[in-house]
Amino acid sequence: MIKNKKFIMILSAIMVFALVLSACGTKPAEEGEPTGDKAVKDTLVIAQGADAKSLDPHATNDQPSSRVSKQIYNTLVESTVDMELVPGLAESWNQVDETTWEFNIRKGVKFHNGEELKASDVKFSIDRMLASKKVAHIVEAIDSVEVIDDYKVIIKTKEPFGPLLAHLSHTATSIVNEKAVTEAGENYGQNPVGTGPFKFVSWEAGDKITLERFDDYYKGPANVKTVVFRNITEGTNRTIGLETGELDIAYEIEPIDKDRVANHEKLQLIEGPSLSMAYIGMNNQKEPFNNEKVRKAINYAINVDDIITAVLNGAGQKANSPIGPRVFAHNDALKPYEYDPAKAKELLKEAGYENGFQTTIWTNDNPVRMQIAQIVQAQLKEIGIDVAIEPLEWGSYLERTAKGEHDMFILGWVTVTADPDYGLYALYHSSQHGGAGNRNFYTNEEVDKLLEEGRTAIDPEKRTEAYKKAQEIIVNDAPDVLLYYGTQNVGAQKSVKGFELHPAGHHSVYGVSFE
Amino acid sequence: MHKYIFRRLLLLIPVLLGVTFIVFTIMSFTPGDPAQLMLGESAPPEAVEQLRAEMGLDDPFIVQYLRFVGNAIKGDFGRSYTTKREVFSEIFARFPNTLILAAVGVAIAVAIGIPVGIISATRQYSLIDSISMIGALLGVSMPNFWLGLMLILVFSVGLGWLPFAGFESAKSIILPAITLGTGAAAIITRMTRSSMLEVIRQDYIRTARAKGVSEKKVVNKHALKNALIPVITVVGLQFGYLLGGAVLTETVFSWPGVGRLLVEAIRQKDTPTVLASVVFMATTFSFVNLLVDILYAYVDPRIKSQYSK
Repeated sequence: MIKNKKFIMILSAIMVFALVLSACGTKPAEEGEPTGDKAVKDTLVIAQGADAKSLDPHATNDQPSSRVSKQIYNTLVESTVDMELVPGLAESWNQVDETTWEFNIRKGVKFHNGEELKASDVKFSIDRMLASKKVAHIVEAIDSVEVIDDYKVIIKTKEPFGPLLAHLSHTATSIVNEKAVTEAGENYGQNPVGTGPFKFVSWEAGDKITLERFDDYYKGPANVKTVVFRNITEGTNRTIGLETGELDIAYEIEPIDKDRVANHEKLQLIEGPSLSMAYIGMNNQKEPFNNEKVRKAINYAINVDDIITAVLNGAGQKANSPIGPRVFAHNDALKPYEYDPAKAKELLKEAGYENGFQTTIWTNDNPVRMQIAQIVQAQLKEIGIDVAIEPLEWGSYLERTAKGEHDMFILGWVTVTADPDYGLYALYHSSQHGGAGNRNFYTNEEVDKLLEEGRTAIDPEKRTEAYKKAQEIIVNDAPDVLLYYGTQNVGAQKSVKGFELHPAGHHSVYGVSFE
Repeated sequence: MHKYIFRRLLLLIPVLLGVTFIVFTIMSFTPGDPAQLMLGESAPPEAVEQLRAEMGLDDPFIVQYLRFVGNAIKGDFGRSYTTKREVFSEIFARFPNTLILAAVGVAIAVAIGIPVGIISATRQYSLIDSISMIGALLGVSMPNFWLGLMLILVFSVGLGWLPFAGFESAKSIILPAITLGTGAAAIITRMTRSSMLEVIRQDYIRTARAKGVSEKKVVNKHALKNALIPVITVVGLQFGYLLGGAVLTETVFSWPGVGRLLVEAIRQKDTPTVLASVVFMATTFSFVNLLVDILYAYVDPRIKSQYSK
């Protein structure tokens, strides 16, 4: 009996020890947490599908991080939800000559640590971006930043660069505080200091990030006191969280749950366009895809409307150009390839592939892309093309398509700056073959010239003309199959007012309030 | 006994070296370039090359591994490729969450499994026995992500009693712990039952009954103590298993634990995080095993006498 008692005592001691140890790491529920009581509700709880990686805007460029950083930081130039460029931390700017821009920094803007925003912070931030491999490509056109006085900087570009303002509105070009960055050193990503409407409070890794209203925000304090970003991996769980009232806003409602949210008496579904485009790439340097007729035949043989209905539940718009309607200089006059299997067969015959051929289509394990691959496989079978689907792990997918080992592949592109340079240059300029973006290995000298012209011209009309022409040639050359422009959605409580979707995917909650 | 514990702790060194070597090899030879993954699909190839060089990924495999071991001995497991945090502080922030979930899960499993097992064994072939064995079969066979979703549907959506996800308060533990504990409870029930059945047919039980000891005392004192030995092994194994293998439950409940961190890190080819998590889990698993062995000695005098020899 004594031994038995001893055993039970040891067992309970272990359990207690485990509990105590675990309790050390978890905080009791904070006071003032939302209790569901509408009268005192000033905490906005937002769920997204992944945790942020870093809140250092220059250390990462992923969507979950940007969505949080957007609330903490500001950029020199801001893009509105209609993709208009308006003054941000730069009150005004003017172009001195083709490669020189002068920016006047807003006076009296405070960082969360109490420091005032100075031109030196702007220079520090841009130099820091240029040194960061993750975001340098966004500001690579910049040659130097010169501080004139506390509130004026001169930015010089290496060559004339039309989309500069659009690039300076990207969340990756957020302005940081020199002192805060230097003090935090390598841990800055977990201790961010910005000028935005919300300041950082805490981050429970893998669980949630808490932000608090910054009362000295230069546009005036935000409506809600606290913003919590929760990491809810499963899409369906985000809908459940809305239904139970524990979430106020949930990003990326699954297609299957959309109706459920839209028809719920207490919830609303907010939908809007995004800047993303999905396409099926073809290796233009490899037989038979080096034959324009074959590429066109494939374009005619794929029914994009079917894909949008079956795979996306209608949450997409058929693409007529590599850049979407929200992107500057989008060419509305272009017609997408219509589904016409008879014409496709004819083109294949002309190209000398009357009996079709065998090929492969690559995709990563993204479920949407897997389903698209299956539909494409079935539709190409109709015109005699035998397609084998090969799913690849994401890392090797990027690596091998960059090397040009593929036949066909499915990928997307997000023109985050809403400027055609970002959406066309990397994907279609012949200098960008492979990992830089042009995984079609497409080459057309005329397109190269037009894209260079659009990049270096400053006059918006000239740029528009060059880009419209470039889109026309690209669509006619059919280096790939353009599928659709994605739409994005957010589910929210009906009591949430003033939430606006930003096409770039990171939405500011500065104007959000509760009814 | 102390000698034995010391020897077992020393054995941890080759175990950890072996485990990290295997994981390091797998991480190195599976396709996918961490530098490319860090920079994303729109990164220029030169930047990827440069980052590879900076991260030391161009060095021979064995050099990379030895560098890792060298730093690890000094307690430096490096920083995560993706979040740039020190991996150990990240794991320390999350490990308590996994531990508490596993502990409560096992506590639930023990609280259900042992009594039900005893009752089943003492009333073999009765209705109660059949019901609990069917229950145990269901518990083992049910995929726990499904059970988790059903629990959320009933208790969060339907009744609104418990939170649906995350670790917000003590209430948050209940659903994931039940989800985790159910499978373990089923295994413990079956183990207790079969072990009890074996013991109550032993001669010394018959002797105890012949002496006129009450049935309650026979079961609780004479039989249970001997029947518990294999059950302790199972409980220990289950606890170790829950510490490392709770990924599905952690995902369904968005639980901020180590399992999800590890799976995320594997997807991102975040080698420092993967290695540190594996070291952590292997160490805890070994410790749990050691504890189980020590417990044996307390329950079974035969084993204790072996140690003292």
